[in-house]
Amino acid sequence: MSTIKRFARLFGREQLEHELSDELRFHVEQQTALNIQKGMTAEEARFAALRAFGGVEQIKEESRDLRGIRILNDLIQDLRYGLRTLAKSPGFTAVAVLTLALGIGANTAIFSVVNAVVLRPLPYKDPYRLVMVKESILLAGAEPIPVCAPDVIQFQRQNQVFESVAAFRGGQFDLAGEGEPERITAERVNAGLFSLLGVQPMLGRAFTTDEDQPGHPIAILTYALWKRRFGADPGVIGRTMTLDRQPYTVIGIMPGSFSFPLQGMEQGHTADIFVPMAFTREELADEGDNFNYSVLARLKPGISLASANADVEAVAYRILQTYPPQFRDRIKLSAVALPLSSQVVGKVRTLLLLLLGAVGFVLLIACANVANLLLSRAAHRQREIAVRLALGAGRARLLRQLAAENLLLALAGAGLGLLLAFGILRGMVARMPANIPRVNAIGMNLTVLAFTLALAGFTALLFGLAPALAASRADLQSTLKEGGRSAQQGPQHHRLRSALVVGEVALSLVLLVGAGLLVRSFERVLATQPGFQPEHVLTASLSLPEAQYKEVQKIRDFYRELMAELEQLPGVTAVGASTDLPLQAGWNHIFTPERSQPPPGTGLNFCWHSVILGDYLQTMGVPLLRGRYFNEQDTPASAPVLLVSESLAKRYWPNQDPIGKRLKWGPPESNDPWLTIVGVVGDVKQGPLDAPTIQHTYEPYAQRNVPASSLNVALRAAGGPTSLAASLRAAVWRLDRQLAVAQVRAMDEVISESTAPRRFTLYLLAAFAALAVVLAAIGIYGVISYSVAQRTHEIGIRMALGAQRGDVLRQVVGQGLHLLGAGVLIGVVGALALTRFLLSLLYEVRPNDPLTFISVSLILTSVALLACYIPARRATKVDPMNALRYE
Amino acid sequence: MGKPADLLQGTLDLLILKTLKLQPMHGWGISQRIQQISEDVLRVQQGSLYPALYRLENQGLIVAGWGASENNRRARFYRLTAKGRKRLEAEESNWERLAAAIAQVLAATS
Repeated sequence: MSTIKRFARLFGREQLEHELSDELRFHVEQQTALNIQKGMTAEEARFAALRAFGGVEQIKEESRDLRGIRILNDLIQDLRYGLRTLAKSPGFTAVAVLTLALGIGANTAIFSVVNAVVLRPLPYKDPYRLVMVKESILLAGAEPIPVCAPDVIQFQRQNQVFESVAAFRGGQFDLAGEGEPERITAERVNAGLFSLLGVQPMLGRAFTTDEDQPGHPIAILTYALWKRRFGADPGVIGRTMTLDRQPYTVIGIMPGSFSFPLQGMEQGHTADIFVPMAFTREELADEGDNFNYSVLARLKPGISLASANADVEAVAYRILQTYPPQFRDRIKLSAVALPLSSQVVGKVRTLLLLLLGAVGFVLLIACANVANLLLSRAAHRQREIAVRLALGAGRARLLRQLAAENLLLALAGAGLGLLLAFGILRGMVARMPANIPRVNAIGMNLTVLAFTLALAGFTALLFGLAPALAASRADLQSTLKEGGRSAQQGPQHHRLRSALVVGEVALSLVLLVGAGLLVRSFERVLATQPGFQPEHVLTASLSLPEAQYKEVQKIRDFYRELMAELEQLPGVTAVGASTDLPLQAGWNHIFTPERSQPPPGTGLNFCWHSVILGDYLQTMGVPLLRGRYFNEQDTPASAPVLLVSESLAKRYWPNQDPIGKRLKWGPPESNDPWLTIVGVVGDVKQGPLDAPTIQHTYEPYAQRNVPASSLNVALRAAGGPTSLAASLRAAVWRLDRQLAVAQVRAMDEVISESTAPRRFTLYLLAAFAALAVVLAAIGIYGVISYSVAQRTHEIGIRMALGAQRGDVLRQVVGQGLHLLGAGVLIGVVGALALTRFLLSLLYEVRPNDPLTFISVSLILTSVALLACYIPARRATKVDPMNALRYE
Repeated sequence: MGKPADLLQGTLDLLILKTLKLQPMHGWGISQRIQQISEDVLRVQQGSLYPALYRLENQGLIVAGWGASENNRRARFYRLTAKGRKRLEAEESNWERLAAAIAQVLAATS
């Protein structure tokens, strides 16, 4: 039948119903007449005819089905009926909807993040054709690292696989003008970068190739900086701004949606401003050194990643051939092309998928709970269903009706869940650690909405299927015969409910173990000694612009005067400065110790190295273990000296006094002067707290031929360090009014920032685990109290026959323990299989840590036992007389 | 005469179409006619008859209309369409082939 006809029939529904009845009535009447002819009485004849005909209503139903008055009509009817039924039991509906909302809401929130960060293509033109070219050298452990400046030119010239190649490098500028001087992030970029990304300025223009040469002080602003510093004034194009005391002409503004570089493309922050790369002659002469330029390239259409890799490797090989032979062997230069998307999201993908998995578990548990609720409801509705079956409802029709009810529940859950997700997301984005890229793209959109809807449908199927099937399988005979007595459910019903609870317990145990392992790791991280005393320390970063501080003496003078100024500040107990601060980063230096065999298995010796000024180590609270700190006698004229960390001293001079030993920079053949060790200080966590400690050396600022123009100042305060921030700024500005004082932070803050990603994951996973446990407890509670309610009669008889309260209690709790035991066992096995995915997030804790497994099992068991105990106590309160009379 | 035989799956459609080829008829008449002609061997369950009629109607093999029965009662009459006629021919030859084949098999194995 055509759809139109079917549709037309929908509207003639009443007439059709009429015709159907008429036709069947005609049939029965004819049969009755025939039976009378055969000699039956009128009554007998009609009864016989009806019996021969079968169930009139059933035939009507089946016929209706075929006559197409059904589908849409039934759906509306089913939904309406569903609404009525749900409204009739508001308690059940509220619990089910709330449970589903928690599950769906949490999933929606995490999915929004995954969608924005991992799934959505990067915000550039044809992002799948973008790759990053990286080099690797033996010196740096053969890990892919950025490229050195002369090689950028070689890749641009020699490659055969890219449409274009562009380099970029982040840096800092002091932006002066109205208001306080401010340190901003400036990205030096090749002229072709914007067209390579497929993005153009929304105002003004991009850089030309000619401008990508030294001597063009021009800049393109990001939308955010333009709004913040220039009030979004379009007239700013063509005007000059002062960057590091030099005038730059603004030539363009990038659109608000443009964000570059994204996390993972490069160390550091998103740029505030872009300036031409304009490689200097010195930079281009840095062959095989200074690997600091990130390179983006766009593949020609049809070029595979593999052929791109072969091509860049060939270019690197040709470059390597131009190096002196001795250097060639040691540096072993090579190159790779890596997909941009994996560079940006690669590191957080595992984390986010893990969270998605965890939150998926929560949803499964929520579904199991609702399924359990539906099962106990089905018991109450058994009679209703049996009556409807007897009155002619088809099994399929009944299933559809139950499905409509489930769908309503799921949709209500999804609606509430969306609201919940909105709240969760807001809270989450505000606490999102810096290692997650594209945070600003996170939000609700159509994809997320579609996901939520699909999730609602999926959950309706998941929690509704088994109960609906069980319900529609009702046994008419016995149910109807039982009359007023409340129907009992068969053993398979009970098994299903038990299986659901066991599953819930198992899933929540897996989540609990995951959260437990993270908690233990976090504890270990917090317990890690950073090697310095962060309390009361305030730090700030200063960078003297080259234009104003050309002469070495001027730089030295500035920092000497600054130290003197800072020492005078009230409330300051110690002052110093260093090229690197703890927990932030460091630079690898190659060194050669004198008369010490390098430990076997290593070629060159590496350490991190800082140049320090004033009482930096005392200010940070790094303990002196042997020898002395630097002092006023360490001058350019005196013998060059060095402090080493404990781990370095122990490694190269075990069981010896390292004082007086010497080392020099570079490989054994280098001509650098020997430096004498005058002291050993404690190891400091220079990188993240959860990274291995790296051996470290310190050199006095005074003995440096070319003093660093950028230093981090550290102050130790008698009281709270943040109160010193204003006087620190004032002291700097007394010496130079235009100098930006950047990253003014208490060291405590730096520590808590360094653990932020860990805390974020931990909080989320712990929240999911807690939710899981609560849901599982509710599930157990539901099953046990249902079984107690069903067995009131039995318990009554037992007690009448002399069972003690303790016996009853034991029996009920024992039943719960059975389920619990099975769930915990399965959960432990599941957790053992799954926790290895957590490996990258753990610190000093093994994924099968027995303490974690045992303690979370105990936690789960005690919560669940409590959930059993409440209904068990109710069972002991059963009054035998009442229970028996109740029948 | 033994027990009435159950109708083979799918043969009810064939029998209905065949019955309607002779003249338009109402549901009751169709069931009576099949029973008569088969000398009570084939008995149509009403539970299957009406759904089958609507199925055939949906397929466009028969059409229905209201008319007066022999005893002047309002009854729903079914009539074969051209499409139904064609289907009947096809089904008939199918059936004959099948019946012949079964007969052959039975003859061979006896």
